[in-house]
Amino acid sequence: MTAVFTHPITRFIARRLLYSLVVLFGVLVVVFALVHLVPGDPVRIALGTRYTPEAYNALRSASGLDRPLVEQFFGYIGSALTGDLGVSFRNGDPVTVTLLERLPATVSLGLVGILIALLIALPAGIWSALHEGRVSDAIVRITSQFGVSIPDFWLGILLIALFASTLGWLPTSGYRPLLDDPAGWLRHIVLPGLTVGLVAAAIMTRYVRSAVLEVASMGYVRTARSKGLPPQVVTFRHTVRNALVPVLTITGIQLATILGGVIVVEVVFAWPGLGRLVYNAVAARDYPVIQGAVLLIAALFLLINLIVDVLYAVVDPRIRLA
Amino acid sequence: MTRSAVLAAVGVAVAVVAALTACSTGDRVDLGGDSSGNLVAAIAGEPDQLDPQKTSAYFSFEVLENVFDTLVEPDANLEMRPALAESWTVSPDQLVWTFHLRRSVTFHDGSPFTADDVVYSYRRIIDQELANADKLSAVTGITAADPSTVVITLKQPTPNLLTNLGGFKGLAIVQRRNVESGEIATHPVGTGPFAFQSQKSGDSIILKANPTYWAGAPKVSGVTFRFISEPSTALSALQAGEIDWTDSIPTQRVAQLKDDDSITLATTASNDYWYLALNEARPPWNDLRVRQAIAYAIDRDAIVQATSYGTAVANQLAIPQGNPWYTPYDAYRHDVDKAKSLLADAGAAPKSLDMLVTNEYPETVTAAQIIADNLAPLGITVNIRTVDFATWLDEQNNGHFDMLMMGWLGNIDPDDFYYAQHHTNGSSNAQKFSNPEVDRLLDAGRVEINRNARAGEYAKAATIIADQVSYIYLYNPSVIQAWTTRLSGYEARRDGAIRFRTATLASGGAA
Repeated sequence: MTAVFTHPITRFIARRLLYSLVVLFGVLVVVFALVHLVPGDPVRIALGTRYTPEAYNALRSASGLDRPLVEQFFGYIGSALTGDLGVSFRNGDPVTVTLLERLPATVSLGLVGILIALLIALPAGIWSALHEGRVSDAIVRITSQFGVSIPDFWLGILLIALFASTLGWLPTSGYRPLLDDPAGWLRHIVLPGLTVGLVAAAIMTRYVRSAVLEVASMGYVRTARSKGLPPQVVTFRHTVRNALVPVLTITGIQLATILGGVIVVEVVFAWPGLGRLVYNAVAARDYPVIQGAVLLIAALFLLINLIVDVLYAVVDPRIRLA
Repeated sequence: MTRSAVLAAVGVAVAVVAALTACSTGDRVDLGGDSSGNLVAAIAGEPDQLDPQKTSAYFSFEVLENVFDTLVEPDANLEMRPALAESWTVSPDQLVWTFHLRRSVTFHDGSPFTADDVVYSYRRIIDQELANADKLSAVTGITAADPSTVVITLKQPTPNLLTNLGGFKGLAIVQRRNVESGEIATHPVGTGPFAFQSQKSGDSIILKANPTYWAGAPKVSGVTFRFISEPSTALSALQAGEIDWTDSIPTQRVAQLKDDDSITLATTASNDYWYLALNEARPPWNDLRVRQAIAYAIDRDAIVQATSYGTAVANQLAIPQGNPWYTPYDAYRHDVDKAKSLLADAGAAPKSLDMLVTNEYPETVTAAQIIADNLAPLGITVNIRTVDFATWLDEQNNGHFDMLMMGWLGNIDPDDFYYAQHHTNGSSNAQKFSNPEVDRLLDAGRVEINRNARAGEYAKAATIIADQVSYIYLYNPSVIQAWTTRLSGYEARRDGAIRFRTATLASGGAA
């Protein structure tokens, strides 16, 4: 047991988790300040265009918005520590429940999207780098340039038009939970997954290519090659493995971006993810939902960061977890 | 990572790709509606909450129209007909209305509907001053004379009382237990043709048919409302047979869809209207001639074309042709010279105009660009200020604008069209219009029993409102809906109410 707690990775993770709490607190302070500073009054929105001052004051006090800001903040922190993120101004739903309801759709899309992106970007990027300057390299580079430039909503609409409307192979939109209906989950996630995956693949291919090129120009690769190692061994053991560190970084960033909400893709595919939740909450100035969702997204970012850092050490033993 | 680990990873990846492809090339997609007779409708957004008396969102009312009832309700011509009230009588002095309720009606949880529920529902609106309290502003008392009789007393004759009580589901009869438990916002219990079953956040709401509905059980076993805000996706879903009905339709494709035999398309002139309002608390817009100059400078037809691809109908007043309260009026035309001479008469040369629009209603953003173009020849630079709706409401209420564009939806009685907007004390008179004659006419219209006399008063008021440019009326949009040819017994309504109680679905298809 003690070995587990004193292992460098355990201590590293523990320390990072502690930092994460500090960062989350900072995020919360900023979000809390921001949502209250942005013009637009949630009570007024809730009441619509016709209301009386009495009704306004009644709802304001029922929502706790008439209390001093500092008091509201610490009240929020207090209950957040117990997992209670408050209730939505709009329908009184507990924010924690709503977030947990939305999380699987977002995580599904993020993981499937990043998997598709890696499946494309790794081979394409490595191939392109190893064939630098040749026609196949040019094709990969032009294609990825296209991919970076294509707006994701347009790509999504095209995919729907082809695979759902014309061929009828896949549903146009919607989401099924993985545990309730695995086959339905898979069929529904293909098109949105492809949309975010292809866009991310285009970006990541370029990173993979330049990372591999950079490593390939290193002295030790030349040494490995000159001492007569087979080309595949040089490529995979020396070049690609060392190129993985920057690739991990960009993978983590891309995954975090998707988890933070790909609003446009969610809108096109009627996907019940966090992005649309935040968007609607901001439009309605639903403070508890905004705060809760931003907190969750920030936590996901930190988690991915942590995983990426641990993976650095796995990929490259020279990196110390200190 | 060892070589074998890399190989294993590649193997897993290949297996996943194989699995994806295997499934993606499967049979026709089965979306697994619970039963063959379940209707799937796609609406363009998610309801904010499901308490009919508190929500002001159209998405909520699209769903709740099917869950709740009112005492009376509008028929296809928007005339009030019996609903939860079977009949009613009015005292000779017009101040006491006695409603006889339908017997043996039950809420979805099986509890009986009685006069107490009516009293509770209306008292909740009045006592909590909910947004719809002004519909009951003339009411001085509501009592349950017996379990099936409700007596409403008024301080003044109110010819539009029935419209106020039944015009839309904001005056729905709710259940006390459902309200007091706080569940109404997420699990509403009504008396309507469909009962709320469940909601998936961001995805859908499922309703089940109410077999004991007082007007007869619905023909379909239930309705699933999916939230598909991207119109091209909703249309694709309809064409692919995943959904049976939608009103999330790309307007630029309406002309093309009219020729599509595989779906039914309805474009019905609605009672909604869009308008411009100039802030009369700010010079020079307080000068009638300056406001008229703007009214002559704008090109209404171009705005209609740009905002609706010609599906809307230009109108210089609020109420559309075909409505019993329609008043013909065409004083304005697109005339830049006339506009210039009016500005010269007024001795005003405004250089800029702060136009407040919101991306919540994209038509306001589109129209603003046309208007900017229209006003350029007058030497006016239109500063288009696009904000989100929350900010828009704040800015409107604080009078921080020169001109704004907005619409009024779901109006039935002429009082809905004019009073709050143009009476000096109107609750929605953000443009600060004040005209004693209009005030007198609007007050008189509220109590006039004689229908012809009342119509005359509103026609006169409407004409003055447009002459004096309280609003620059633009157009009436159309209700645009499309549904599968398998769906029958459903009609697109002018008030935008979505009623599936008599809808039938022929068998076959994917839903």
